[in-house]
Amino acid sequence: MSLVPASIRDRGSYLLFLIPGGLLLLAVILVPFAMNVGISLTEWSGAGTPEWVGLDNYTRLMSDGTFWASFRHNVGLVVAMAILPTLAGLVIAAALFDFIGKHFGSRHAAVLRACVYLPQVLPIAVAGIVWSWILAPRDGALNEVLRAVGLDALAQNWLGDPDLALFTVMGVLLWIQVGYPVVIFMAGMGRVDPSLHEAAELDGASWWGRFFHVTVPQIRPEIFVVLLTCTIAALKVFAPIYVLTRGGPGGSTNVPSYYSFQNFFEKTQVGYGAAVATVLTVLILLLTAVFLRVQNRGER
Amino acid sequence: MSKRLLAAAVAAVLAVAGCGGSEEASDPNTLKLWHYEGPDSAMGVAWAEAIKQFEATHPGVKVQFEEKGFEQIQKTASMVLNSKDAPDILEYNKGNATAGLLSKQGLLTDLGEEVAKRGWDKKLGPGIDTTAKYDERGVMGSGKWYGIPNYAEYVMVYYNKTMFDQQGLAAPTTFDELTAAMDKFAKAGVTPLALGGAEYPAAQLFYQLALTKADREWVDRFQRYTGPVDFHDNTWVFGAETFAKWLREGYFSKDSAGVKAEDMGLSFMQGKHPIMVSGSWWYGRVQAQVKDFEWAAVPWPGMTSGSSGNLWVVPKGSKNKQLAYDFIEITMSPAIQDKLRDAGGIPVAPSATPATDPRTKQLNDDFQALVDGDRLAFYPDWPAPGFYDAQVSSVQKVITGQIGAHEALTELADYYEENTASVGK
Amino acid sequence: MRRHAVLWSMILLAAVMLAPFVLVALNAVKTPAEYSTGGPLDLPDGISLEGIVAFWERVDFGEKLWNSVVISGSVAVLAVVVSVFNAYALGIGRVRGRLWILVAFLVANTLPQEALVYPLYFLANEVGLYDTKLAVIVIFTVIQAAFGTYLLTSTLGGFPRELLEAARIDGATKWQTLVRIVVPISRPTLGVLFVFFFIWTWNEFFLPLVLLISNENQTVPVALGVLQGQRMMDATMTSASALLGVIPAIVFFLIFQRALTRGITAGAVK
Repeated sequence: MSLVPASIRDRGSYLLFLIPGGLLLLAVILVPFAMNVGISLTEWSGAGTPEWVGLDNYTRLMSDGTFWASFRHNVGLVVAMAILPTLAGLVIAAALFDFIGKHFGSRHAAVLRACVYLPQVLPIAVAGIVWSWILAPRDGALNEVLRAVGLDALAQNWLGDPDLALFTVMGVLLWIQVGYPVVIFMAGMGRVDPSLHEAAELDGASWWGRFFHVTVPQIRPEIFVVLLTCTIAALKVFAPIYVLTRGGPGGSTNVPSYYSFQNFFEKTQVGYGAAVATVLTVLILLLTAVFLRVQNRGER
Repeated sequence: MSKRLLAAAVAAVLAVAGCGGSEEASDPNTLKLWHYEGPDSAMGVAWAEAIKQFEATHPGVKVQFEEKGFEQIQKTASMVLNSKDAPDILEYNKGNATAGLLSKQGLLTDLGEEVAKRGWDKKLGPGIDTTAKYDERGVMGSGKWYGIPNYAEYVMVYYNKTMFDQQGLAAPTTFDELTAAMDKFAKAGVTPLALGGAEYPAAQLFYQLALTKADREWVDRFQRYTGPVDFHDNTWVFGAETFAKWLREGYFSKDSAGVKAEDMGLSFMQGKHPIMVSGSWWYGRVQAQVKDFEWAAVPWPGMTSGSSGNLWVVPKGSKNKQLAYDFIEITMSPAIQDKLRDAGGIPVAPSATPATDPRTKQLNDDFQALVDGDRLAFYPDWPAPGFYDAQVSSVQKVITGQIGAHEALTELADYYEENTASVGK
Repeated sequence: MRRHAVLWSMILLAAVMLAPFVLVALNAVKTPAEYSTGGPLDLPDGISLEGIVAFWERVDFGEKLWNSVVISGSVAVLAVVVSVFNAYALGIGRVRGRLWILVAFLVANTLPQEALVYPLYFLANEVGLYDTKLAVIVIFTVIQAAFGTYLLTSTLGGFPRELLEAARIDGATKWQTLVRIVVPISRPTLGVLFVFFFIWTWNEFFLPLVLLISNENQTVPVALGVLQGQRMMDATMTSASALLGVIPAIVFFLIFQRALTRGITAGAVK
C-alpha cells in the first residue's frame, strides 16, 4: 500500500471524523467502564454509600471455584457460538450461493437464507420458552419424536441432566447463531470475481476444491469479522443462559456474565459483580487485540 | 440516500425520540400507582375495583396505573426509587432481601403513624404482620412498618381426587397418609408427585419436608436470625433425607431437575401426576382449567411455607403520601377484601360473611386454621439475598445425584453463614 | 441427482430452523384451557385470537411497537452514520495508531452490559435522561457503531485508491469525497449494517428493562417480559406475545432482504 500518494496519507484532518464517535464512546462506554472498575474496589449493595475495600473482591475471585467453572463453561459456548457457526456457515453459504443459486436460481437461495437467518430475529425471551417446550423431559417435542421413531434410549432430560445441559445449550445457541455467518458469507461471496472460479474449473477442480482454494481465501476478511464478533458475543452470552437454565442444573451452565448478573441483582453484591465483569472485559479486550493484530498481518 | 435526506431523517428521529420522555412534574391530583398482578388474578380484580372506588371518593384525583413486570420491579426498584420518576405507591415483594433491603437503604416511608391511626395493625394477624415490619438491619418481624399486605398465600397439597378414588385412597391429611398414597401410586407404576426442579418448587418441597418437624422457634432462628442455625439438626436432616428417600422410591422423577414451575403445574392439570405440593397462587388457575377430573387440596401436615402476600409500599420520594394512604385504606376495606376472596385469593381482613363458593370457603378456612395454629413458616429463600439460586442449584444436584442430601445441607449452611455475617451492614 | 440431494438437505435444514416458529404460531391460537389439557404440542382445535387480542390490549402493544420502531430505527440510522465517519478515518484515512483506536471502539462491543448498568443509570439520572428513549438510543448507537466501525474499517481498507485520487485531483474536499464516492460505493454494506443494527437493537432486553421504567417508553421485548408474573406465566398469552414480537421483525427482514443480497464489502468498481 505504499503506492498511496502523500496527499491521501495527509492524516491530520481525518481525525475530525473521529470526534463524534469518540465523544460518544467516552460518555457512554469509557467513563462508565472506569466507574465500574471503581465500584469493583468497593463493597456496595446498589444503594447508599459504597465501602472501600481495595483489591478484596479480586483476591476473593482468584479462589472462587464458581467463577473459574463459569469460564470453563464459556469455552464450550465459544465453540458453539463462534467456531461451529463459522464452519457450518461457510458450507451452508457456499451451498446456497454456489449451488442452489446457480442451479435453481437466486430466489430459492434467498428464501432458504431467510429461513436460516430467522432465529436471529426471534426475541430471546420467546426462544427460551419455545426451546423449553421442545426439550421438556417427559413430553417435549424432541423426546416424543425420538420415541416415535423407536429411539427411546436416546430420549434424555436435556436441560435437567448436569452432564448434558451445557451441550444442549450449545445446540440451541448454534441454532440461534448460524444464520449470521451465512448472511455475511453469502454477501462476501457475491464480491468474489467469477473468473477465478472459471479458471479453477478449467483446471479441473471439483466443487470442494474450488470451495477450499477459491471461496475460503477470497472471503477471509468476512471470516475474521465473524469469528471475532461471534467470540465476543459468546464470551458475553447472558440472555440464552438466563432464559434456558439460569445457570443450572447445579451451576453446570453458569457463565461469567450470568455470574456477575447474579451478584448485581440477586445477591446485591454489586462490588463483587463489578469485579467479575471487569475481569471478563479485560480478557475479551486482550483477545480482541491479539485477533486484530493477526488480522492486520494477514492484510498486509 | 442523499445528504439532505439523511440529515432530515436524523433530525426527525431525534425529534420523535426527544419528546415523550419523562413525565411532567408530579401533580397533586394524580396518584401514580404500580403493581405487577395480572388483570385476571384475584389481586388484579380487587385492585381494579379499589382504583374505581378511590376515584369515586376523591373527585378530581386521577389514578395513573401502570402494570409492571415482576422482574422489572425486582431488578430496578432501588434505581427507580432513587430517581424522580418514582411512583407514589407500588406493590413490592416481601422479605428481608427485598422490602427489607429497600427499607434499610432508606427508600421507603415509615408507615407507623398511619398504621396506628387507621388501625391496620388490628386487621393483620400475627404471622401476617411479620412481613410488614423491618428493623434497622432490614430484618422482618420487628421495628417499623414499611408495607401493608392485602392478601396471603401458603403452600398446600393439591391432589387428583379421581385418581385417588381409583386407587381407593382417602384425602392425604397426615404425613403417613401422604406417604402411603404416594407409595401405592409408585407401585402401580404412576409417578405420584408433579415437581419442578429448575425453579422454586423442588426447593420449596425440601423445606416443606423439614417443616413437618419444625416449630415456631426453629423458624424464627432460620428466618429472623434469633439464634444459631444448625443445618444438621434433626429437623433439617429429616427434611433432606426424606427428600432423598422420595426420590429413591420414585415418588417424583429424576427428570424433574430440568422442569420449570409452569410445566409442573401443567402436568398436574393434565392429570399426569396425582399430587402437587405448591402454593395457593395455583388455586384459581386449577379451578378454572381442570375439567377432566375431580380435584381437592389439603393443608400440608405441620408448619408450611406461607406468609402475607406482597406489600403496598410508599416510596420515600412519593409526592402524594396522603393519597397513597387513602388508597391502602380502601384496599383494606371489607368490600375490597371480599372481592379479593371471591376472585380466588386469600384476603387478610375479610368481612364476617363467609364466601358463597364452597372451594373458596375451603381455601380461606384452611388458611384461617394455619394462622390460628401459628403454622406459617415463610419461604426457604428469604433469609439471604440470592439464596434462591443457591437453593435451586443445591436441590437440583440432589435430584440429579451429583451430591447427597447431607452435602446439600452443607452447601445451604455455607451460603447462609456467609450472608448472616453481613446482616445489618 | 446430486443437485437435488443438496437442495433437499438445504430444505431440511430450513425446516429444522423454522420448527420452533411453527410451535409459537400453533400455541398462539389456542385457548388457555386447550393448552392446559393438551400441552404445547397438540394441534389447536380452531383458531382462537383470544390470547393475541388480550395481550395486545393489556400492554397497549401498538405503543410498544412504535417505541421499538423509533428506538431501533434511530439507532440503525445514527450508528451507520457514526460507523461511516469512524471507518473513513481509520480505513481510508489510516490515521496513526488506528489499531488501538479500533480496540478502544471495540470496548463498546465487548463490555458485558451488566457492567454498564449501574454507571449508565447514574449518569442518565444526573443529566435527566433516565427513563427517556433518547438515553437508550444514544447508548445503543455507540454499542452498535463499535461493530460497524470494525467491519467497515476492514472493508474500506481495500477501497480502490485510484478513485480517491481522482476525486482529489478534481479538487474535492475530504467531506465531498466521503459523501460522493465512498458512501455510494459502500451502500450495499451500509444496508447490511442497517439491517443488523435494527434487528439487534429490536431484540435488546436488559438495558431497556432497566432504563425505560415508565410503560409509555417500553419496547416490545420488555413488554413480553411484563407477562412473566410473579410465579405464573400463561403460556398461550406468552406465545401470542411471541408471535406479535416476531412478526414485525420478520416483516422488516423481508423488506430488507434486498440490502442483504447486495454484498457486504465495497466490491471492485466496474
